[in-house]
Amino acid sequence: MANPTLEMVHGLLYGKGLRIGKPSGTARLIAALTGDHADVVPFMGPQSHDHCMTVARVPARRYYWDAELLVNVQLAVQRWYGFDSYTIIPDAYNFEVEALGAKMIYSDNAMPTVDVSDPLIKSPADLDRIGPLDPTKGRIPMAVEVGRLTIQKAPGPLSSGFFCSPWSLLCQAMGYPKAVRALKRDRAYAQALFQWAEDRAIFPFLRAYARAGVKAMNGADAWAAFPNLTPELVQEWVLPSAERLAARAKKELGVTANAALAACDYCEEDPAKFDKAMLFKCLDTAPKLAGLSMAFVGMGRTQDLDMRWLQEYAVSRGKGGHKVPIMASLNGRFIRDSSPDEIVAKIREWIDIMGRDGRLILFIGNIPADTPPLNIHTAVQAVRTLGRYPIAANLESVRVETPAFQPFDEWLKGQPEAEVILRARQGK
Amino acid sequence: MSDETYQLISQAVTEGEDGRASELVAQALKAGLPPLEILQRGAVAGITRAGDLWRANEYFLPDVILAADAFKAAMALLEPHLRQGGGPRLGKYVIGVVAGDMHDLGKSLVVAMLSSVGFEVIDLGIDVPSARFIQAVKEHRPAIVGLGAYMTTTMLEMKGIIAELEAQGLRRQVKVMVGGVPTSQEFADEVGADAWGKDALDTIQKATALIGG
Repeated sequence: MANPTLEMVHGLLYGKGLRIGKPSGTARLIAALTGDHADVVPFMGPQSHDHCMTVARVPARRYYWDAELLVNVQLAVQRWYGFDSYTIIPDAYNFEVEALGAKMIYSDNAMPTVDVSDPLIKSPADLDRIGPLDPTKGRIPMAVEVGRLTIQKAPGPLSSGFFCSPWSLLCQAMGYPKAVRALKRDRAYAQALFQWAEDRAIFPFLRAYARAGVKAMNGADAWAAFPNLTPELVQEWVLPSAERLAARAKKELGVTANAALAACDYCEEDPAKFDKAMLFKCLDTAPKLAGLSMAFVGMGRTQDLDMRWLQEYAVSRGKGGHKVPIMASLNGRFIRDSSPDEIVAKIREWIDIMGRDGRLILFIGNIPADTPPLNIHTAVQAVRTLGRYPIAANLESVRVETPAFQPFDEWLKGQPEAEVILRARQGK
Repeated sequence: MSDETYQLISQAVTEGEDGRASELVAQALKAGLPPLEILQRGAVAGITRAGDLWRANEYFLPDVILAADAFKAAMALLEPHLRQGGGPRLGKYVIGVVAGDMHDLGKSLVVAMLSSVGFEVIDLGIDVPSARFIQAVKEHRPAIVGLGAYMTTTMLEMKGIIAELEAQGLRRQVKVMVGGVPTSQEFADEVGADAWGKDALDTIQKATALIGG
């Protein structure tokens, strides 16, 4: 079945108890989000741009400029691992500020980065001088093409274009400390900043997406994660801005623009400061995804978080005997730095706590470039083995075999992405 | 009178009131209060209190940014007086929080303590790219370079900075200290640092020992 609509219907029915046929990856996600569970805990494709580039051995200075290459590399590497969905993301925080003239640092082996030592916005007067964004400048055409190709090659409920949400864009344009000072000390300036970000930086980008036929865009907002911002500041500034942007995109462009993704994601780094009440407050404040309430942890130090808290939250916010769905990310550094046995043990623990009553989706938070592929294949194998429904009464007794997988280059032979990747390696 | 002044300075720093902190420090200096007392009982006490509130989950990163700003405002006025009043400088200490990390509080406290015991501190700030650390070592030729991080995501930058010091032939001329919540002695050993600063006081003691003080 390769029709995303049919896959979604299959997932809806499967999750409601009509367990016929083998669900696709998309169907598994839909079943977990809207029903009880699929045949196995879904393992969503992760943000992994630098890692995919490293595995595919293509040069950064081409990969981050060539939409066809970037999309093909991420499709191939994520399929090699066997995730249930694709997440195709370029360096989503950079495009707008780069096109507006921010000084950038370009590298031979990593994504472009904003040079924070020389910010784009240095004073309030800059807001009149900078913008509106010209969608023909910088790598905006490439980003739009990534969105278009993603929807064409990997259609489904999660396919979208990406943009940088207003708050994170301001942090990119002026530096986080100065942006925070504006929020806390100069309300009028902060309002002007958000208006600038929405109207002069992001909206022209959304318009370019819409003209290319991209109907859904997600706005990354890692700078609005906790503790960068408190739930109160997110409520006061980030969510209203996201609502304004969404309303304008719907009204003027007829598209969906979900800004503030990852706002209030609980990212406390010090386990000694983990705070259940604050976690709950963050989860309550985080924006809904596609109208769905859920318990989402994405970028934080989740390997040390007590996942019984997340399960308790999901159950407490559920209705009709169902918990709200949990989307839980295995920390990318944890996956990189742990042994395969430690990875299996963590997944066993999480499925035991959060998977038994369904409504659990797992993924890895932004895989670092140098993560050993064995660790990721191990994670996939562990989720497939331990997450099979009904979940085994004693997960300790379930053995997870060492994954058998072909080296990427061998696997790539004959794949539809091979030619594009090999050509890029040869500098053609 | 002086107790009250120190208390007000401390409060202004804790609450991130940079203008008020400057104003109070200027008044205290004009009244002839000892700069070292103003630093320790006013500014350092205030930033320490902000740190306590941060650890207690009553302050969050935006509050800490503002408290650090107020602390720096106080330090800007105090530093020239501390230099005049102090004995010989112990040596130069380049310090910064590594790229991608915005946590200013711990580093600000270390800067204050280093200054108060006689180091000449070159503060590169927060979110400092690797290249700026290297450039500062070349430019200032410090005795010690201190690398701070609060997050497990960013602490790994330290390894790259130390490797770059090696690659550029600078490692033998400078001692390297690392510090911050996620770091440890094991981590310091792993990345090839000369010392790990557990907290501000520990940093001072080890920095002094490193230069043979």
